[in-house]
Amino acid sequence: MLKQLYRAALLTTAAACFVFTSLASFSVNAKGVYQSGPDFFTEVFAQQQAESKVLWLTPEIRSQAAAIVGHPVRGLRIRYHQSDSKTAWILEEIGKEMPITIGVVVEDDVIQQVKILAYRESRGGEVRYPAYTAQYKGAALQEDYQLNRNIDGITGATLSMWAVNKVAALALYYHAAVNQSSATHQP
Amino acid sequence: MLWHRRLGLSTFVVLIFLAISGFALNHSPGLKLNQINLSSNWLLDWYGFEVPLAEGFQVDGKWFYQDGNKALLVDGHNAASCTAPLIAVAQTTDGFFALCSNGLNLLNRDAQLIEQFGAIDGLPPNTQAVTVLDNKIYLTFDSTTIDSTNIDAVIMEFNAHSLELKPAQIAPKALKDMRQAAMPLPESLQKTLKEQSSGPSISLETLILDLHSGRFFGQFGVLFIDLIGLLVCILSITGLMGWIKRR
Repeated sequence: MLKQLYRAALLTTAAACFVFTSLASFSVNAKGVYQSGPDFFTEVFAQQQAESKVLWLTPEIRSQAAAIVGHPVRGLRIRYHQSDSKTAWILEEIGKEMPITIGVVVEDDVIQQVKILAYRESRGGEVRYPAYTAQYKGAALQEDYQLNRNIDGITGATLSMWAVNKVAALALYYHAAVNQSSATHQP
Repeated sequence: MLWHRRLGLSTFVVLIFLAISGFALNHSPGLKLNQINLSSNWLLDWYGFEVPLAEGFQVDGKWFYQDGNKALLVDGHNAASCTAPLIAVAQTTDGFFALCSNGLNLLNRDAQLIEQFGAIDGLPPNTQAVTVLDNKIYLTFDSTTIDSTNIDAVIMEFNAHSLELKPAQIAPKALKDMRQAAMPLPESLQKTLKEQSSGPSISLETLILDLHSGRFFGQFGVLFIDLIGLLVCILSITGLMGWIKRR
């Protein structure tokens, strides 16, 4: 009887160790670069002829962008790819301490795709799962520059989720700014 | 009794110091001594910390340097994110190009960040230098790791508008001669950098503990405190003997 109990305890400990180490390695693996920028654009515009363009951040755009992300934005221009009414952006936002690189595709003022290209934090990497990023598909920008839908959060990844929300709203705003500037430049 | 007095007189300063420092150490958490950091040069030197002189690149009268954390500073202003080391800085008529280990920062003539060209945008990880010759920008790559990247040559010409790289037909030596070496920052910038960055420091608790135990002065300091301890024992014995004699 004692022997059986001893065996059962041993087996339980071994199983617990296995689960623990798998979980630990899983969280470590969350860090990394999943896709490069050029590969992301190639994938997004596989069937279309896309043009690489830059959006110069005018003082108005900068101040609105700063209001969306909650801090001043860096850089005087943002690079994007465009094909007709579809634009693709690669933007960075800090989750807790490290920047998360996020690819956002916008078509007709609505998000078509959000993809985490690089995640550098040690925790919260669950935001890269398609099940999570799929929630952004179809989201648009409200008048108050917030997303027009509620995104379900992930326990332990709140800061990363906020970062993705900000970037999604920012990409929608930049897309609108591109459309606006091209409309004003129309003859 | 004469010796008791002499011993007492010769040790009283040290004893008072030991009593005060012992009291401070006993109440260190309350006094928050471990949160007070000291970073004066002589103290860091004494503890064997090497404080190297910060280096940077002087281009067009502006000093470009890394803050020891994650920022590229230009004359004291935070211009861009930059993971150490800051490898090289070059200028064209359009602006400046500062190569850090996390990417190439494109700055305008006022040293404002235009954009960053990083690994995610296609900058090969083995980039060793940025050099400007005849207003053209060249990036030099480590030849030993070139096979593992998607670039075709050791030197590529960089287009600052399209961020494209194309193989360059130029002798490496011609670029090497143009490259500027890092130089120690002027004293005023060194001072500001030291005040802003979080370099090595010693907590006040460590300093008091080392002074209390004598370790601050090395082996001799420890022996000295041992000697004081011995003298205190002798003092208490001679004191007791004097008291008995008087009775």
